[in-house]
Amino acid sequence: MSFSHPRSFFYFCIFTLLILLDAQPTQSKHFEDLKTTARGQTVYFNAWGGDAKINSYINWAGTIVKQRHNITLVHVKLTDTAIAVSRILAEKAAGRLTGGSVDILWVNGENFAAMKRADLLQTQPWVTHLPNWRFTNASSLPGILSDFAEPTDGKESPWGRAQLVFVYDSARLAAPPRSAIALATYIQKHPGRFTYPQPPDFIGVSFLKQLLIELTDADPALYQPVKEADFEMVTAPLWAWLDQAKPNLWRRGTAYPQNYPVLRQLLGDSEIDIAIAFNPADASAAIARGELPDTVRTYIHELGTLANVHFLTIPFNASAPGAAQIVANFMLSPEAQIKKADSLIWGDPTVLSMRDLPLDIQAAFTALPRGIATLSDADLGESLAEPHPSWVPQLETAWRQRYAVGD
Amino acid sequence: MRSLIPGKTIWQKFMLFLGVLLFVIPVLCGLVGILLPAAGYFPALGFNHISTEPARLFFETPGVGQASWLTLKIGMIATALSLLSCFIVLIGVMHSPGLPILSRWLGALVAVPHSSIAIGLVFLLSPSGWLIRLLSPGFTGFHQPPDWSLIPDPHGWALVVGLMAKETPFLLMVSLAAIATQPVSQLERIGNSLGYGRISSWILLILPLVYRQIRLPILAVLVFGLSVVDMALLLAPTLPPPLAVLVLHGFIDANLAARLPASFGAVIQIGIVMCGLSIWMVFEALCNTSLKYWQCNGWRLRHADKYLPLVSGLALLPIIAATAGLTAALLWSVAGNWFFPEALPMRLHLIHWQDYPSYLPLIRNSFWLATSASFVAIVAVLASAYSASASTLQSRWLLCGIFLPLFVPQVSFLLGMQISLSSIKLDGNWLALLWAHVIFILPYIWLILMPAKHALDRRLDSIAATLGASPWQRFWQLHIPLMAYPLGTAFFIGVSVSIALYLPTLFVGAGRINTITVEAVTLAAGGSRGPAGVATILQIAIPLVTFSLIHTALRWRFSKFSDMRSGDLQ
Repeated sequence: MSFSHPRSFFYFCIFTLLILLDAQPTQSKHFEDLKTTARGQTVYFNAWGGDAKINSYINWAGTIVKQRHNITLVHVKLTDTAIAVSRILAEKAAGRLTGGSVDILWVNGENFAAMKRADLLQTQPWVTHLPNWRFTNASSLPGILSDFAEPTDGKESPWGRAQLVFVYDSARLAAPPRSAIALATYIQKHPGRFTYPQPPDFIGVSFLKQLLIELTDADPALYQPVKEADFEMVTAPLWAWLDQAKPNLWRRGTAYPQNYPVLRQLLGDSEIDIAIAFNPADASAAIARGELPDTVRTYIHELGTLANVHFLTIPFNASAPGAAQIVANFMLSPEAQIKKADSLIWGDPTVLSMRDLPLDIQAAFTALPRGIATLSDADLGESLAEPHPSWVPQLETAWRQRYAVGD
Repeated sequence: MRSLIPGKTIWQKFMLFLGVLLFVIPVLCGLVGILLPAAGYFPALGFNHISTEPARLFFETPGVGQASWLTLKIGMIATALSLLSCFIVLIGVMHSPGLPILSRWLGALVAVPHSSIAIGLVFLLSPSGWLIRLLSPGFTGFHQPPDWSLIPDPHGWALVVGLMAKETPFLLMVSLAAIATQPVSQLERIGNSLGYGRISSWILLILPLVYRQIRLPILAVLVFGLSVVDMALLLAPTLPPPLAVLVLHGFIDANLAARLPASFGAVIQIGIVMCGLSIWMVFEALCNTSLKYWQCNGWRLRHADKYLPLVSGLALLPIIAATAGLTAALLWSVAGNWFFPEALPMRLHLIHWQDYPSYLPLIRNSFWLATSASFVAIVAVLASAYSASASTLQSRWLLCGIFLPLFVPQVSFLLGMQISLSSIKLDGNWLALLWAHVIFILPYIWLILMPAKHALDRRLDSIAATLGASPWQRFWQLHIPLMAYPLGTAFFIGVSVSIALYLPTLFVGAGRINTITVEAVTLAAGGSRGPAGVATILQIAIPLVTFSLIHTALRWRFSKFSDMRSGDLQ
């Protein structure tokens, strides 16, 4: 056997080790039974498909579960996660209680909350039974149990972490603005050079939440279910900020990019100076693909930026719920998490807890190369918790009422 | 009393009834699936009573009025301009040596799905697009892109250009097919001998005949323009978007209750389409009246002819833009670093193309779906052409049934159709998807094959019969070769229409059956230019390869028969 690259050999060692770990007798009998019944089944993995590097990662995971568990993983590429949620709802409306079209859904926040409200999740909790759950630790990462302050009830399995970062080209912009207030001043001085994805886009709404937390000094009300009475009052500074910025936004605020890859493309095209991403390694990966110049760097605001966890869930009517659990368990394995954290593959931070992992795996995580534009863990230190998900629809509606009609 | 369903025998009536049901049922199920939530009834979400709440919520959505007006404006203007360009080009090139080249080019563009055209135009025309890069910084002095509202622009002109780039070639192809059945040269000579210029001869004598023949495709283009989604996602303004996009947003909102007002919006969308069709008919009547007036006053317009080359050039601009845009898509698929204001990529690589294995299943799906749906539709049309009587084939009931799917906006019934299919576990099923594609393909194939069958020379048939040929022999050895070119065209159009279907594949395929088209729109909406470029090129490849194969095969088969070439593959 020959290895073209030292890293391949390194991965080989890790994988061998992990396969051995995988076979430890700590697994429950229940899960072993699942493995037997899941053989030969097909799992429809519904995930946003707008990013080539994420797609190829899911493709890789598919080849592994095929080899080891004889499960066929089909990536159903969504333009919007809500499409799959509404498809599951349509199935419920049609009385289809089994054999649904979605087996696993990549989800978090408002979509999860909506599924929970409409009873579209599995009836029994399943996540804590996954063998790889033992590598997570809710006390060091509480986000794995509460998704945007909504309890996960063991019905969605953590997959990755995200933190909002701002992206700029250091060749064109020497000192980027590091707070909501400084950003406002920057926009005023450089008309037409900043914009954000149009809400209800996920990153667009996240940007609104970031501003809201900064401008209200993390008002405790944001972490409670929203009440009509205080919504106007709490959000007033946000609308003042946006009203002031709007005439100096890209295209004078008459148009917004529809999602963050388009926003990133605008930065690559020099149409804007600052972009937003919800993945610290996104800019590095884009540089590697030639989509952004290699002078691009990232930064976060002084008060910190929004951080959250994204999950995999299984709908109530999944046609292969057992095989779906096997896939979710694989996605939570150190092997899959190391690969996902590699900024050349995806660069999505792990949800596993370092001190609960064997030493060699910890070493594997720390040995991962950081991309040229990726901040260190220390620089990413300041993170802000997500507001309660009930704020999201209200923010979307209020934004729409104020800005959805061009001029 | 005249029977409701025409046909000679009970058996024939039954078969026809069944055939029409196959078309009408999915659409009707879809409409019911929209009407109930629009009226406030959606038990799965706990809405158990009829109410006007969805209507109230829909009208309270910010920008609804503006969205409706935008929709109507874009659809009407795009259709009118496409028709105008089509006629101008037709007059300009009819007898020119460039016609064969142009018609091949048009054939290629008809095969390009709407979304690819839109992707190409974004690459070309945005402020940091290829056009401005070519001129910068030399001519424009721009070192960074200007902050111009080009794509999308607030008034929807980018979408109008996109629709024109797609619909002008389509209308031209249909017109060329229609013209082939008209004595054009004779009519032109009559016009000339009476002292009319070329333009006026065409407008007074030929175009009215052509229009009558292509009226149905024109109305279908209008309905499509009034309810387009995939192109609008990339080219239309977003604050607010056209109504169809607004409705789609409602259907995919994380807040599931947003579906009720969205369903109401889908009903309003039908209203807008009906309104657009009515305005168009008024417009038709006005044109008709002024044409009659012109015919009587004898305005000969000879001087206008010299501007014809210039005007035809202008009319070709959207088509040229679309072609340049697709070239840009090809470049992006191999571009490494390509930053503003470089006119060409700074380096080329094949990273995006190396990912081709992941596209193979999608191409396979698209290919099988397109070819089998076209085949089924052709067999169905031929079967009805041969088994039913002429009066049956022209009955309103039958035609309404067949053309219904083209006249109901897709967003307005596909979601309801998904709910209905899902309840009988047919969503995400190959057969259901094939059915949906056949429904959208068959009307076009009907329009091509019915006149072709009608135009067959009955005398040849009689001669063959007197020589002892059985009906089957006559069908295989006489009719099929005589109709080879229309059949080839029908197959090619069927494949092109199927490849272009975005919403039907998205909804009926339920994500389980994915095609290269859905992938291309997903990638383009996700802003990944390289992969989107690859998907776009692959998507175009299928109909283009089909086109060349059919073309070559027919050329080869009929190279010895000079008369057969008159019906060139269009």
